[in-house]
Amino acid sequence: MKGGVARRRPARMPIIETRELRKVFYGVKRAPGALGALRTLFSRERTERVAVEGISMALEAGELVGYIGPNGAGKSTTIKMLTGILVPTSGSIKVAGLVPYRERKKNARNIGVVFGQRSQLYWDLPLVESFELLRAIYDVPPARYKENLAAFSELLEMDEFMHTPVRQLSLGQRMRGDFAAAMLHDPRIVYLDEPTIGLDVVAKEAIRTFIARVNAERGTTIILTTHDLADVERLCRRIMLIDRGRLVYDGEIERLKDQYGTHRTLIVELCDDNGTFEVEGAELESRTGAEVRLRFDRRSISADQLIRRVADRYCVNDVSLEEPALESIIRRIYVEGYAEPPPAELVPAPALH
Amino acid sequence: MIRRLFAPYLEFAKKAFAREATYRVEVFTNVGSLLLRVYLLRSLWTALYSQNAAPAGIPLHAMITYATVALLMSLILEIDGTRAIRERIREGTIATDLMKPISLPLYFFSDGFGQTLFHALLILPSLLLALLLVHVDVPALTTFGAFAASFVLGYLVNFFINFLMNSVAFWTLETFAIQLMVRWASDLLSGQILPLTFFPGILGAIVQNLPFAAIYSTPLQIYIGQLAPAAWPAALAFQAFWLVLFAALSFAVWRAAERRVVIQGG
Repeated sequence: MKGGVARRRPARMPIIETRELRKVFYGVKRAPGALGALRTLFSRERTERVAVEGISMALEAGELVGYIGPNGAGKSTTIKMLTGILVPTSGSIKVAGLVPYRERKKNARNIGVVFGQRSQLYWDLPLVESFELLRAIYDVPPARYKENLAAFSELLEMDEFMHTPVRQLSLGQRMRGDFAAAMLHDPRIVYLDEPTIGLDVVAKEAIRTFIARVNAERGTTIILTTHDLADVERLCRRIMLIDRGRLVYDGEIERLKDQYGTHRTLIVELCDDNGTFEVEGAELESRTGAEVRLRFDRRSISADQLIRRVADRYCVNDVSLEEPALESIIRRIYVEGYAEPPPAELVPAPALH
Repeated sequence: MIRRLFAPYLEFAKKAFAREATYRVEVFTNVGSLLLRVYLLRSLWTALYSQNAAPAGIPLHAMITYATVALLMSLILEIDGTRAIRERIREGTIATDLMKPISLPLYFFSDGFGQTLFHALLILPSLLLALLLVHVDVPALTTFGAFAASFVLGYLVNFFINFLMNSVAFWTLETFAIQLMVRWASDLLSGQILPLTFFPGILGAIVQNLPFAAIYSTPLQIYIGQLAPAAWPAALAFQAFWLVLFAALSFAVWRAAERRVVIQGG
């Protein structure tokens, strides 16, 4: 599967490209118990764990892609290979024309990394000193450094804590500092690993706005790894879904929603909460007191039709309609696996009443 | 070009220096405990010497000088500048460090060096305060020069021993037991607490040729005049030998560690 964006601009070279990327970790098999531990010391038995199984992807310069998957799916293993700190077992990678693990330091100049869970700032020193250190590490020209620092400081509102030691910053402030730190050297590619974890709504929004602006104004290619699908819905048009080491979906979010979002939920509040409830064309999802939740396939019945059917038979106080969130779609894919649904033409036309 | 290549490392050293300076209380307690130890050692050696006149041919004033200079040296030598290695491995931040366009061993070296420089500043005030408690012999200028050169070599040997020890964390994560062992061995065998010439016979011959001797014993023997100028080149060569050996070993271990990280994910 190729992303929709890649298809639209076929003339350009992808900035990130992997082919059949695979990573297997080997370990020593551990037997349980104290005797087992002793046996492990001498045992030659090895275990294999496939973390990434044949991932092929292509990203155009300037794309902002969500890289989604449950814990242990192989997301960080992929990112580690892209950043050059992990050697693939097989397959090929090219990032901005370089093979990352062969030219780790050269590749490092092209990339920026933000980890929500760990900081790259100097704990004991004022924030600005970490920036100065990064200026020296990446050899950023002084004029460019000043310009970037001023721009980021304004965008992320860092003025008030620029001279505060990092250990005294709040998580939101620290994250803003980490973002600026990752972008000071104008990286062409930025990897974001759960950048909004633990942040309050205001701080989250500030970070999301910043990501969107950096992507739009600087043309930075961004891979966003997160469990917060609101991040992805707000920022990305394309997502790559990984599960048990395999890429199960790569394409536009809208397409995924179309394919999986065939079911809607109608919530009906009845005038009274007694008696049975049954309506043709919808499935009773749950019933609590006077509130009834009905799940229906919008290809076989429209919301309008369903509401009429319900209203014909019961006394209704109120109705509302729920669209499936990306989250529930993705939860379903994790549980059931992804399957390409049949093309829309083959679906029978909705029956008339 | 070369300046630009080293600019980041200079900056690392500066930042480490600044970082150490943020812990002011620790600085004062360090100097305070040093002075206390100077006083205790003077009392101890004076008491011991009143029973035994000049063991191993070291007169009391030289012995007190030895102990005091050793304590001043420890202001620098007890700084484990590379403990950041094991801390970063445990916290997992070593991965982010590898995502930077720098040489990590050089980073740890410059960071450790910056810390050292800060603590070196404490030597002069500590010496002045110590002089209120004890008398310290002042050697000839050439002797002092040889001592300084020997001290630098000893510092580097110490640095690489620490580097190796901390790098073990790449395999074991935990280095506490090893540290304890090396610490204990080095306290006793480096000549920090007592001159290695006090060890009798064959034991003395062994400990004086162990790498630990290069850290405190060689520079201190030069300082108090136990080593005649004619013996200096051999003594410095002895230190240089261990330095080259440990530096080579450190780089080999580092390469293996880096390989392990990129293959096994650290």
